[in-house]
Amino acid sequence: MSTIELALRVFIVDDEQPARNRLRELLEDCNNQLALDIVGEAGSPQEALDKLAETPADVVLMDIRMPEMNGLELARHLQKLDKPPVIIFTTAYDEYALQAFELHAIDYLLKPIRLGRLFDALNRARSAVPIQTAVLQELLPEARKQLSIHERGKIHLVPIEQILFLRAELKYITVRTAQREYLIEESLTALEQEFAAQMVRIHRNCLVAKSAIVGFEKSSDESASNWMVKLRGVDEALPLSRRQNVLVKEFGKN
Amino acid sequence: MNKPRSIKQNAYPDAVPDFRNLGVALRILLLSNAFALFKAVIDGSNWGEVLAHLIESASLLTPVLLTSMLLLWVMQPQLKRLNYVQASVAISLVVMLLTLAIFNFSGDLFEPVDDDDRRFDAMQYALLAILVSQMLLFYFRWRAQVLSQALHDARLQVLRARIRPHFLFNTLNAVLSIVRTQPKLAETALEDMADLFRMAMSEAKDLVPLRQEIKLSEQYLALEKLRMGERLQPVWQIDEAAMDAWIPPLLLQPLLENAVYHGVETLRSGGQIIIALRRIGKQLNLTIVNPCQPTDVSPHLGNKLALKNIRERLELLFDVEASYQVYAARDSYKIAITLPYLHKGEL
Repeated sequence: MSTIELALRVFIVDDEQPARNRLRELLEDCNNQLALDIVGEAGSPQEALDKLAETPADVVLMDIRMPEMNGLELARHLQKLDKPPVIIFTTAYDEYALQAFELHAIDYLLKPIRLGRLFDALNRARSAVPIQTAVLQELLPEARKQLSIHERGKIHLVPIEQILFLRAELKYITVRTAQREYLIEESLTALEQEFAAQMVRIHRNCLVAKSAIVGFEKSSDESASNWMVKLRGVDEALPLSRRQNVLVKEFGKN
Repeated sequence: MNKPRSIKQNAYPDAVPDFRNLGVALRILLLSNAFALFKAVIDGSNWGEVLAHLIESASLLTPVLLTSMLLLWVMQPQLKRLNYVQASVAISLVVMLLTLAIFNFSGDLFEPVDDDDRRFDAMQYALLAILVSQMLLFYFRWRAQVLSQALHDARLQVLRARIRPHFLFNTLNAVLSIVRTQPKLAETALEDMADLFRMAMSEAKDLVPLRQEIKLSEQYLALEKLRMGERLQPVWQIDEAAMDAWIPPLLLQPLLENAVYHGVETLRSGGQIIIALRRIGKQLNLTIVNPCQPTDVSPHLGNKLALKNIRERLELLFDVEASYQVYAARDSYKIAITLPYLHKGEL
C-alpha cells in the first residue's frame, strides 16, 4: 500500500456563482491539511451529471434549493453513476428537515459555511458510504421532475412531462418519449405511485401520460374484443385491460 | 429619519373616527339604520305598526344622518385638533342641533298634536340623537382599540416575516464570497444589509415616504443581485406624480422578496420583475409582475403568510379604501394593490 494518501476529489454544485466561489476559497484553505483536488463545479443539475460522468469525484458538495431540480432529487440521479460519490448537502436554513439528515447520517453544512465544519465533513467523507436511494426517496416525498437514464456511462435526464408511456418488459421498463425510447430499471408499481398525478395504469404492464391520451378504439383482434388506447405522437395503439374499461367512460366525459 | 405618523382612526384608539373614510361612513349608515329598525320593532305592537314607525323615523333619520355626515366630513380637520372628550361632545352637539333643526323645519310632517307634545317630542329626538351618536362613537372607539391590538400583532408578524432566514444566510454567504476579492463591494453590501435590518427592526410606523421605501427596495434588490447576478432583472416603472406619496412601511420590499424567492430564483435563466407605481387621481396603484416555474402548482406557505400580513395591514390602515388582488397565471404571478394616495400635507 502506498503511504501517500490519494487526494480527495471534490465537486461543487450550486446555482449561485458566489456560493461556488466561497466553497472554492474554503476548500483551498483546507488544502493545507487535507489533500484535496477540486475536480469541477456545476451551476445546474444536467451540467453536474455531465461533468461527473466525465470526471468522477469522491465527494460532491451540493446545494439543496436549486432551480429546476432539488438537490435531493439530483442526489438520487447521481446514485446511477458507476461509483456514486459521497454527498454533503449545503443549505441556508431549515429548508429541509435537517433532523432527518442526521437520522440517516447524511452530512450537511449550513451556509455561511465554517472552515472547521467543512474540514470535519471532508474528513468524515473518506470513510462514508453513498446514501441509499430509498433514503433519498423518503426525504423527498414529492414526485421527481425527471427520470434519469444511465446510458453508455452517461446519465440523461428525461422530464416527466415528455414521457408518453412507461411499459414493463422483462427486467426493464421502456420509457417512451416523442423522440425515442430509453430503458430504466425501476418498479412499475413504485412509478405508478410516484406519478399518480400525471400517469394512469392502462394495463398490467403499462402506464400512460394522462395528457397524451387522444382517444380509444375497439381492438381489431376478434378474440380480444377490447379497447385500445391511442396516444399523441405514437403510431401503435396500446391495449387497455378490461379492468380499466372505466377510463373510456371517464375520457368520454371530458 | 421621519417621525412616526398616524393617520387613521385605528392608529389612535383615543381619537374620533375619520369621517372622510368610506368604511366609517358605511358603518355609520348601517348601524344607525339598524338601531332605527330595532327601536321600531320594540315600539310597535304588530308588523304594520313597525313599518309605520320605521317610515316615520326614517323620514327624520335619513336627512339628519346625511347632513351630519356631510358636516362632520367638512369639520374633520378641526375635529382632529380636539382631544377625544371635546371632539365627542362636539359631534353629539352637531348631531343634536341638526336633529332639532330638521325636526322643526319639517314641521307638519310629524303629526302635530299640540305645542306641549311637540316640544316633548323634540326633546325625545334630541336625546335620541345624543344617545345614538355616543353609542356610535363608543363603537368606533372599541373597534379602534381591538384593531390597534391587531395592528400591533401584525407589526410583530411583519418583523418576523421580514427576516427571512433564507435571505439572511444566503446573503451573508454571498458577502463572505467577495470579502477577499472585492472588499469594497462587500462593504457596500453590508451597509445595505444594515439599512434593511434597521428598517425591519425599527419602531413600527404607519406611513413612510414612498421614496424611502423605494430606496430600501433597491438596496434589497442589490443584495439579491449579488447572489443571482444577471438572473435578476428588476424593471422600475414609476410615475413621477406618485413619488411624493406616503405608504405603509415594508409594503414593497416583502412583495419583491416573494417575487424573488418564489419566482425568479426558481428559474434557471431568471427573469424580470416589473414594479409599476402609478397615481390615478386620489389613488396609488402598485403592481408587481414576476415570472415563475410553470409546474409549481402549490405556492409556498411562507408566500401566503407574507401576503396575508400585507393584506391585513392594508385592511387595518385603510379599511375598504385599499384593495389587493393576486393574479396567478401558469408561468407568471401578478400582485395589484390600490391604496389611497396620501401626501405630506394630508397627514
